[in-house]
Amino acid sequence: MGASTSRRTFLGLAGLGVASTAGLGALGGCSKKPSSTGGATNAEQAAGVVPTFKDSNLIPPDIKGIRPMADGYAKYPANLVDAITEKAITSGKPVTATTPWWGPAPPASNRYVEAVGADLGGTITFSVQDGNTYGDKLNTMLGARDVPDLTCIPGWEINKLARFSDGVHVLFEDLTPYLAGDKANPYPRLAGLDTAAWKDSVWGGKLMGVPFPTDSPFPTALFIRRDVAEQRGIAAPTSLDSLYEFGRKFTNPDKGEWAFGDIFQEVLQICGNTGSQNGWARGADGKVYHRYETEQYKRAVEWMARIYSEKLIHPDLASSKGGDVVTLFKGGKIFSYASGLGSWKETQREMTRQGKGFDMQAVKVFGADASTPPVRWGGSPSIMWTFIKKGLGKDRVEELLRVLDYTAAPFGTKEYELQNYGVEGTHFTRDANGAPKTNDAFTKEFANQFIFLGGRPAVVVSDPDLPHYAQDLVGWGNDATKYLEKNPWEGIKVEVPSEQAAIQQPTDDKITDILRGRTPLSDFDKVIGQWRAGGGDKARDFYAKVLADNGR
Amino acid sequence: MSAPYMVEAAPQVQEKQAVTKMSVAARLRRDWPLMLMCVPAMLLLALFHYLPALGNVIAFQDYNPFAGDSPLQAFLSSEWIGFGNFQYLFETPAFWDSVRNTLGITAFQLVFYFPVPILLAMLMNSILSPRLRSFAQSVVYLPHFFSWVLVVSLFQMMLGGAGLIAQTARDAGFTAPDFMTNPDTFYFLITSQAIWKDAGWGMIVFLAALAAIDPNLYEAAAADGAGRWRRFWHVTLPGLRPVIVLLLILRLGDALNVGFEQFYLQREAVGRDASEVLDTYVYYQGITVQQWGVGAAAGLFKALVGLLLILGANKVAHKLGEQGIYSKS
Repeated sequence: MGASTSRRTFLGLAGLGVASTAGLGALGGCSKKPSSTGGATNAEQAAGVVPTFKDSNLIPPDIKGIRPMADGYAKYPANLVDAITEKAITSGKPVTATTPWWGPAPPASNRYVEAVGADLGGTITFSVQDGNTYGDKLNTMLGARDVPDLTCIPGWEINKLARFSDGVHVLFEDLTPYLAGDKANPYPRLAGLDTAAWKDSVWGGKLMGVPFPTDSPFPTALFIRRDVAEQRGIAAPTSLDSLYEFGRKFTNPDKGEWAFGDIFQEVLQICGNTGSQNGWARGADGKVYHRYETEQYKRAVEWMARIYSEKLIHPDLASSKGGDVVTLFKGGKIFSYASGLGSWKETQREMTRQGKGFDMQAVKVFGADASTPPVRWGGSPSIMWTFIKKGLGKDRVEELLRVLDYTAAPFGTKEYELQNYGVEGTHFTRDANGAPKTNDAFTKEFANQFIFLGGRPAVVVSDPDLPHYAQDLVGWGNDATKYLEKNPWEGIKVEVPSEQAAIQQPTDDKITDILRGRTPLSDFDKVIGQWRAGGGDKARDFYAKVLADNGR
Repeated sequence: MSAPYMVEAAPQVQEKQAVTKMSVAARLRRDWPLMLMCVPAMLLLALFHYLPALGNVIAFQDYNPFAGDSPLQAFLSSEWIGFGNFQYLFETPAFWDSVRNTLGITAFQLVFYFPVPILLAMLMNSILSPRLRSFAQSVVYLPHFFSWVLVVSLFQMMLGGAGLIAQTARDAGFTAPDFMTNPDTFYFLITSQAIWKDAGWGMIVFLAALAAIDPNLYEAAAADGAGRWRRFWHVTLPGLRPVIVLLLILRLGDALNVGFEQFYLQREAVGRDASEVLDTYVYYQGITVQQWGVGAAAGLFKALVGLLLILGANKVAHKLGEQGIYSKS
């Protein structure tokens, strides 16, 4: 990015005069097209600035996860460790923080936040924002350069933030002097976070944020209603053909029942498509290609178009962005959908409490047919980051790092329990095995405030309502890990040039047209041709160059 | 020119000279209470309209919000690229697709949406019981306060593939129609949504205009033997005409503004070809891919076209003897 930055800054105020005279000339004659040139952080640079890993886990897991899948705990530990005895906040100054939440905003006077604050030795003032519009809020906040002490930014929003690779260095503190290598020793919990997630927190060769390591790398899973499938004697799908049969058997419009939500992302993986790096991959011949250009992609599009034309997908989901797939699934209007694994616990727990035998399961990963192995996409090692405001001074930065060290406390500590379940008696009670069972006060006041702040060694923990959850999820993940895509760009922060990013939406629109039957399948090759000419081929060169620059 | 005209005109000319002769200080002394009353409104305008409008400079820049030492400096430090953003826009066929769609929708709604509030107002006006009338009024303009998400899901529950009509049709053994995913009837769909949501709200202005028509005119017309239709044609319509023309001109100025959410929500259902309007184009090709300058350029283009349309329509209105939105005194 260095070249483009200097190119941008040299004109300044003098440019005003230049531009106004240039503006009088012929349109286009003196003008230049807007361009963000794109860039990539060198992966090797990242290695030297991350904390030295020191395992902070206290309890051996019940179900060992095959990395990058997290470990599972079926039982809640009987004895908790009081890991942090000194108060993190010593200056008495309140700490401000902004976090996202996908649910009703918690009340400002909040016993849960106060309790954790008291344990930290100070006050934390949260501004909890609606997660669905978080990107818009961030763009405004960052553009105005008005950020709180701690800002939490999810990875998927970063791509939407204007010039984040410039902004991150302008707005946030470089943590390299505080955390590189052994300098992280005063923060043992931060040193216990996964190294891959730390490497993922490096922008322009500097350690810029504290990561929130992923508990499973898989962006989606295919969920089905196991209870209804067993009741009706319909087998779980094991191939593309049996998935189609599954769809036919479950669809019954007269009863208001359809088989699927939009499962395209899953079908792509079942057909063996790549997807970890926006669909880019490197073939056996060493050449960079996109999944658009493969037979696997065409096959997935063909199959999906058939599903749409035979109306096996709920019409509400086909007709508006506002269609709520989880509500339809809970209400028994659809029986299978694709979603992130995060929704499993929330959905199942709510339905278990209603006690109607609702049983949702992630389908064991399968390929299109016996000769086509599936591919599972891998997400980035860190889902989100917390950034510290720039220019607060060494003492304050260290204080804030102690706060983040506290929020990174592992499973099995009193701190972890307090942050995840609140105060015993107020927010939760214990069941016969000593596991916390949360109540309504918890639901009202809890918005993942502290959880989102400073990572934690990722774990999968069962719930009194869901005793098999850890086994089910880690078991599914360990199997899926076998098919995890090898991403040649892993660990490199790739920022795609805007011209190439701009070609994505029009292409997706055209493919959606084919899926929905608005344009014939025979147009597919034409669409891909347009994509190649409109920026696809340039993007290929860009991605190939990033690999070459990094010596891969 | 005839002599009497000259005689008539002379005093006017003198008066005009008198006004210009009056010193600024004298006029200030005379008008200061009026000007003081304008200050809050002027401040509001300056602060929230004129000042932010300066931000439009990014249409001529490769804007980087993090250049320079402060957000203000960023405007000065970003690279100037002249008309590059405009050139990018005008060379992109997808941009013109969205302009065409937007204008098509405006034209369609001018015919099928614009008259609805007028008709509704006249209907409302003919309800005699004041209580019944205010109740009916509240019912029809309440939907204005619903969000588009709500309106679209309501239509989906009625007209969608799993909606009331489709389910009833299936129960009766017919194939279920799906109005929500048909790109060919999309104009009808969005226009009916707009009517359901906003016609009641648009009615208010016309109701006020109707109330201003002198009831004596109706009585006199009736006494002269004019029927219902003649009274409508010769009393009601002329009474409404200034308001209709005014709103028509304003609507024309907004020709490139047909809304965002309604189209964003239903984009996948009917596809880009039917639903891409200028605002969604700016969102997908400006904001989500960080081309802020391009987005600002599209906004400026919209404003400029709107201004030209307003000025043009106003001129036409003057030619036809109407007052328009303003008149040269």
